[in-house]
Amino acid sequence: MTVDDVPRRARVRARYLLSDFLREQAGAGGVHVACGHGVCGACTVAVDGIAVRACLMLAVQADGAHVQTVASLSALEGAPASGRDGLTPLQAAFREHHALQCGYCTPGLLVSTALFMSQHKAAAALPGNPSPRRAAILDHLNGHLCRCTGYANIIAAIESVLP
Amino acid sequence: MKPAAFAYARPASVTDAARLLAQHGAAARLLAGGQSLMPLMARRLVCPELVIDINRIAGLDAIEVLASHIRMGALVRQEQALRSSVVRECVAGLAEALAWVGNPVVRQRGTVIGNLVANTPGSELPAVAIALGAEFVVRHPDAEVTVPAAALLGVANLFGAGKGLPPEAMVTHVLWPRRPGAAGFYEVARRDGHAPVVSALVTMSNDECRVAVSGVCATGLSCPSMARIIARDFPQPPSASALAGALQDDLTGPVYGDAHSSARYRLDVAPLVSRRAAGLMALRAVA
Repeated sequence: MTVDDVPRRARVRARYLLSDFLREQAGAGGVHVACGHGVCGACTVAVDGIAVRACLMLAVQADGAHVQTVASLSALEGAPASGRDGLTPLQAAFREHHALQCGYCTPGLLVSTALFMSQHKAAAALPGNPSPRRAAILDHLNGHLCRCTGYANIIAAIESVLP
Repeated sequence: MKPAAFAYARPASVTDAARLLAQHGAAARLLAGGQSLMPLMARRLVCPELVIDINRIAGLDAIEVLASHIRMGALVRQEQALRSSVVRECVAGLAEALAWVGNPVVRQRGTVIGNLVANTPGSELPAVAIALGAEFVVRHPDAEVTVPAAALLGVANLFGAGKGLPPEAMVTHVLWPRRPGAAGFYEVARRDGHAPVVSALVTMSNDECRVAVSGVCATGLSCPSMARIIARDFPQPPSASALAGALQDDLTGPVYGDAHSSARYRLDVAPLVSRRAAGLMALRAVA
């Protein structure tokens, strides 16, 4: 598989989770593991362009796949990192709106929100389609636990970067 | 939160998967989207000796329009079905129910059939499949048969471990009768995106009303008595007390309760949830 555009080749046991492979063998420390059974969303990565909970996928299942973690956020957003701190638009919005405190849930949230936004930008480009309503953002956030922010600031950050 | 050790197979065809299942039976588990099986394996509530990963079997991800049915393969993801225009046009209520399952990330990976055969108590889709008259195409080692969803899902089971589905059998497709119309769905859950306490789907197509309720009995319910009352009063939703009386006739077993929601609460809230779903259906039917 490739991880953030770097080819990785390994022999692993069948029970080895994609989340553990990414952290331990691919050097992708941005993949955060919290609950380990698909509840919290912290380990969300893109596998062939689709958001996946890496703790619910076996590493062997990603054989040959193109995996992107938060390190590929700029590519996932389709927008360059810019400014003095080199933040992507989504990262800048999260900072601007104080959408994180401890930051543990943030990498997974950024990855799946970048994919959520690209889906909805494509839909919004069609005539007559409004940008996603608040309900769609709340549905999207159902997949992520954040114990710090109470979500209001995350919602504000996402709304601020939608077209 | 790590699965116990297991052997892994990645068959390229249904025939190969069925042969592995026939050899290993209850020691093997089929892995599709993994959104139900993997958490159970992580918690070691399920420890298969062999995991048969069907994700690379070609053709199982298709949604096909047949003369009287919509046919979905075992790799059709919930989000794929939810966004499918033929599903919206041909099967009233299915997309409405799917929108309440899990969250977008889980739905992009989790499969429709995986959710159905997991048959978790309270889960939305098994009740919907029973009430809409869905059928499963089941591959046994020596034969392929089509069985009503109610025959498999009316039995409380988990991944075929119960008597609903023998361990060596594989559900390859689900068939949804083509029944266009209006639908309303509503549920009460402890948290959005989690398994509901009680959910209800009400559909109306050509004056035929169908009602699916989850979370009252251990398996999903089709509720013809409630449906009769909703059709009688349409487009007004019937009173909750009338629905509560009808629900008594639709129960298939004891009302169950758990630490979070007692049986009494479930019986109280089910008519209210059904009434809300009937109102949503009527809004769309007259729009």
